[in-house]
Amino acid sequence: MKLKFNHVDFFYGTKAPYLFQALNDIDCEIKEKSFTCIVGHTGCGKSTLIQQLNGLLIPSKGSVFAGDFVVSSNKKERTKKLKPLRQKVGIVFQFSEYQLFENTVEEDVAFGPMNFGVKKEEALKIAHESLLKVGIGESFFKKSPFDLSGGERRRVAIAGIMAMQPEVIVLDEPTVGLDPRGVKEMMLLFKQLHEQGTTVVLVTHDMNLVYGYASDVIVMDHGKVVYQGGPHELFNRSVDEYSLETPLVTKLIQGLENKGYKFDLQKIAFIDDLVDEIVKQRRTSK
Amino acid sequence: MSNITLGRYVPRDTFIHSLDPRVKIISLILLMVAIFISYSTWEMTFIMAGILGLFIFLLALISNTSFRLLFKSLRAMWFLIIFLLLINILIKPNNAEIIAFSIGSLDIYWESIFQSLKIIIRLFLMVSLTMILTTSTKPLDLTYALEWFMKPLKVIKFPTHEIAMTISIALRFIPTLLNEVERIMKAQTSRGVDFKHGKISSRFKAIISLIIPLFIASFQRAEELADSMEARGYDPKAKRTTYHKLRFSVNDLFVFILCGAFMAATIVFSVMNFTIKTPLFVPWLVIGCCLVLFYLFGLGAANARRYKK
Ligand SMILES: Nc1ncnc2c1ncn2[C@@H]1O[C@H](COP(=O)(O)OP(=O)(O)OP(=O)(O)O)[C@@H](O)[C@H]1O
Ligand SMILES: [Mg+2]
Repeated sequence: MKLKFNHVDFFYGTKAPYLFQALNDIDCEIKEKSFTCIVGHTGCGKSTLIQQLNGLLIPSKGSVFAGDFVVSSNKKERTKKLKPLRQKVGIVFQFSEYQLFENTVEEDVAFGPMNFGVKKEEALKIAHESLLKVGIGESFFKKSPFDLSGGERRRVAIAGIMAMQPEVIVLDEPTVGLDPRGVKEMMLLFKQLHEQGTTVVLVTHDMNLVYGYASDVIVMDHGKVVYQGGPHELFNRSVDEYSLETPLVTKLIQGLENKGYKFDLQKIAFIDDLVDEIVKQRRTSK
Repeated sequence: MSNITLGRYVPRDTFIHSLDPRVKIISLILLMVAIFISYSTWEMTFIMAGILGLFIFLLALISNTSFRLLFKSLRAMWFLIIFLLLINILIKPNNAEIIAFSIGSLDIYWESIFQSLKIIIRLFLMVSLTMILTTSTKPLDLTYALEWFMKPLKVIKFPTHEIAMTISIALRFIPTLLNEVERIMKAQTSRGVDFKHGKISSRFKAIISLIIPLFIASFQRAEELADSMEARGYDPKAKRTTYHKLRFSVNDLFVFILCGAFMAATIVFSVMNFTIKTPLFVPWLVIGCCLVLFYLFGLGAANARRYKK
């Protein structure tokens, strides 16, 4: 499912006495089956942007196209029923751990699919699968979601969206507050989803993750899209321009390149890859 | 959501905003009394309502309260208004004489029409006044003022400070909770919940999916707040000073006198059974109104000048 923003403006507080422009002429595209990262400073409008993707917020101007769905400021063009869109584009919100409410973990995860017409047994089956995928073992299935730790709740919330089997999964800072191993596990899960054909949209502040996993990057600043393209071009050239942090791998590579090494950036996503590459190069040079 | 936030504080730099909250509360009470005074004749009732309406209109103008918001509140009361109209029209008033018109065998009296009109006008004026107060005064200032009014109760060991603190915390968290409601609604909508349409059973489920996370989050908030207050050594019994001192200025005195005079005048008119036929009443009324209007227009002009700067 391709997602396209067509000159989107968004204002907060159109009904209240104050007005704030959160999005300013957004015109960009999220490719089908891509792993797109959205980055930018706090308050630049990332969360606002992703809420346009399933019609939770309606653009004040312009339109968003999601497959056959149109979310437009123009009532006539807008798709009438947005609920099916919400099944196709699943959003995991920032602080998603606070949205759980059912008696048991499994019921909470099954809540989403059941809302979209899946029968209870079937939904529970899907719920179990999703829970196992996010690393929540069987012993947790019958527990109350309120007895879990923050990190575990986050995983349950993510499983809740995954269980809806969306074509696009949008994650708003899903790894904040997880331990390093948890982050790695989560990211591998998203990578796996991506490889199985789901479009993944990830909002994050961690440039190492962007470097390691993204196929596309969108950089935002003050409600505008200032960069759209691959991660390597971004980090090799224009990091300073957008005052983003340089990923560790890039720093290392730049240091090594000054010492005469040459690398194929497409092959190196993580420090591990870099180490392998260095070892290989030293061997061949001997 | 925007309905609930009706009457929310709007930071502006106007004369009314700068008044002492204590004076504003007292003035509100004085004007409310003036609204509820009844007169011997209908003409007087509507003339005085008109004058009060004009006065409140000017207050709204000076405090930059949006008229759209004021009328929205009227729209929010439509059910009440229709109900009142029906009751008043169906029940024949004691002293009703002149029939306005008849629908079938039902006679409708001018008396009942006036009666319902009076109540609606009073309601509207009252709500407008309160909205002007709440949009022009920080909730925190209001609680400071309340605390000040409760001071005499301290003698009988009434926990005035604790109550003021509780109120101010409650007020402080209203917007936070509203944000929370919005956030959870969005999250559940993404999971296929439809809060607006659907069967009763699914609507019920939808509400549950909103209420439970909301409660959990609020309790968590409350606990965190209590802990952090304790950690910073908060002691309700301790003698405290405030960062914002309430200050009573010359302007406050003026407003107080103006509102007091207004109320006094209405009481005098009512008690002495003034009507428009009373000799010299109309000229004096006009002169009084002109003076007040002059004063308020002066303020309004001063305001407008400041806005341009
Ligand atoms: N409900 C709202 N009402 C008014 N303004 C809002 C609202 N939500 C967000 N904003 C404003 O819109 C801007 C963009 O907010 P948004 O949540 O999209 O930022 P963000 O990029 O997701 O930031 P973060 O990285 O901190 O999550 C912010 O300046 C914020 O103050
Ligand atoms: Mg955000």
